[in-house]
Amino acid sequence: MPGGIAITGLGALSALGRDTAELTAGLRLGRDGIGPLTLFAHQGRCATAAEAAHVPAGPWGLPRATVRRLSRPDRLAIAAAAEACTQAGLDADARAAAAVLAGATTGGMLETEEAYRRWRAGETRRLRTSRVLGTSLASSGAAISQALGIFGPQETMATACSSSALAIARAGDLVRRGVVPAAVAVGTDALCRLTFAGFDALQALDPERCRPFDRHRRGLTLGEGAAALVVEDADHARARGAEVRALLLGWGTATDAHHPTAPRPDGEGAMAALRAALAMAGLPADAVDYVNAHGTGTPQNDAVEMSVLRAVLGTRLARVPVSSSKSQFGHTLGAAGALEAVVTVLALTHGILPPTLGVREPDEAWADVDVVAEPGRRAALATAITSSYGFGGHNVTLVLGRGDAR
Amino acid sequence: MDRDRLRSEVKDLLVTGLRLQVPSTDIQDDVPIFGEGLGLDSIDALELVVLVEEQFRVSIPDEEVGRKALASVNALVDFIIAERPA
Repeated sequence: MPGGIAITGLGALSALGRDTAELTAGLRLGRDGIGPLTLFAHQGRCATAAEAAHVPAGPWGLPRATVRRLSRPDRLAIAAAAEACTQAGLDADARAAAAVLAGATTGGMLETEEAYRRWRAGETRRLRTSRVLGTSLASSGAAISQALGIFGPQETMATACSSSALAIARAGDLVRRGVVPAAVAVGTDALCRLTFAGFDALQALDPERCRPFDRHRRGLTLGEGAAALVVEDADHARARGAEVRALLLGWGTATDAHHPTAPRPDGEGAMAALRAALAMAGLPADAVDYVNAHGTGTPQNDAVEMSVLRAVLGTRLARVPVSSSKSQFGHTLGAAGALEAVVTVLALTHGILPPTLGVREPDEAWADVDVVAEPGRRAALATAITSSYGFGGHNVTLVLGRGDAR
Repeated sequence: MDRDRLRSEVKDLLVTGLRLQVPSTDIQDDVPIFGEGLGLDSIDALELVVLVEEQFRVSIPDEEVGRKALASVNALVDFIIAERPA
């Protein structure tokens, strides 16, 4: 593809704010989105989370009955997709011809849990249809298409915490092959009891807050939100006068085939994904200026991820700033890939190096690595990578370049 | 139970059961429940059947009965009075 694959619009809702402007400010200032869990009661080891700053009410032009029933992640997803399409300047005709690629992990589980609780408590004799409709992961893509008038292909990715990174890769694939001129890649997830209790039971949550890359890191902090990127044929974007904010230079996917929750200790799957992404971009390791890491803050993830970066980037690693944005807005699971891709685009376009919060004592095993300290820095960047590693060994790496890089 | 009280119970059920953003006193007695007025759709109809069956212990076995019973607040009140166990 001569002009490459462009990112022309961004949308984001998270603990750092209701749109990309607020997210940008949060990244610039090194804001901390982690606080007490208030959405539901939880009895366990951990009581902190990164709750969404704002959940929009709509109505996005949808029928009243539809809006009333939208789950929390569907509301977040529509708002993110709408922001991205507005920013990209996609008119009704351009939206009609576009695709929607969504990624999620638990759909409307929060609402389903509440319906189930009421039924178990004897408050209702039968489950309420309306409260369990959003259970399907496919509901977000359907709601986005209906709200924005998108009639092209629609697919939902379910590869755990790399779901929406895969959605971006898939969007790039559809655009590259000329199936659609533009695609909206979206990731969304809301906090719910299932994931909160589940990760707590796995002892994967830090009781206080995540401390990615810290020597004494104890686990992740769950977050919620949605993010969207308009992925578009760059020539198509330029022809309609749209701003090319960034370029999607490459992507790679590979599987651990190792364990339901743990990453493969030798990191082979993650390495293969990173190598494939760089190969597709046609770039050597020395071209990487910034890494927005998966960086969950679990002892295993961060150790494997650092060894993967060391193996693939080699001596370059010592000169590449690395940050975990999960330290600011938590691990947003199905939204993480897209949200962190948005962060990476903002890092490229604004020259922001967002911090890794919570680090008190860097792990000596990677003392030579430049983990961006609080409150973050500024730097001119041309190329960056962001990786997402899902349970079950679903590894995805994206390579992004500044919009004026070509 | 008198008709007026039943009528206001039906309206309360519509508002709370379907989470409508209107006061129950705004719902007209003879206006169609479905269609433009309250912004309800076919999924609300399925839900309302369950709600009415649970609260008033009547049976709405099929679409034909449902369409007549749920035509308006007054129609629903008539249906409940005729069908509920003594």
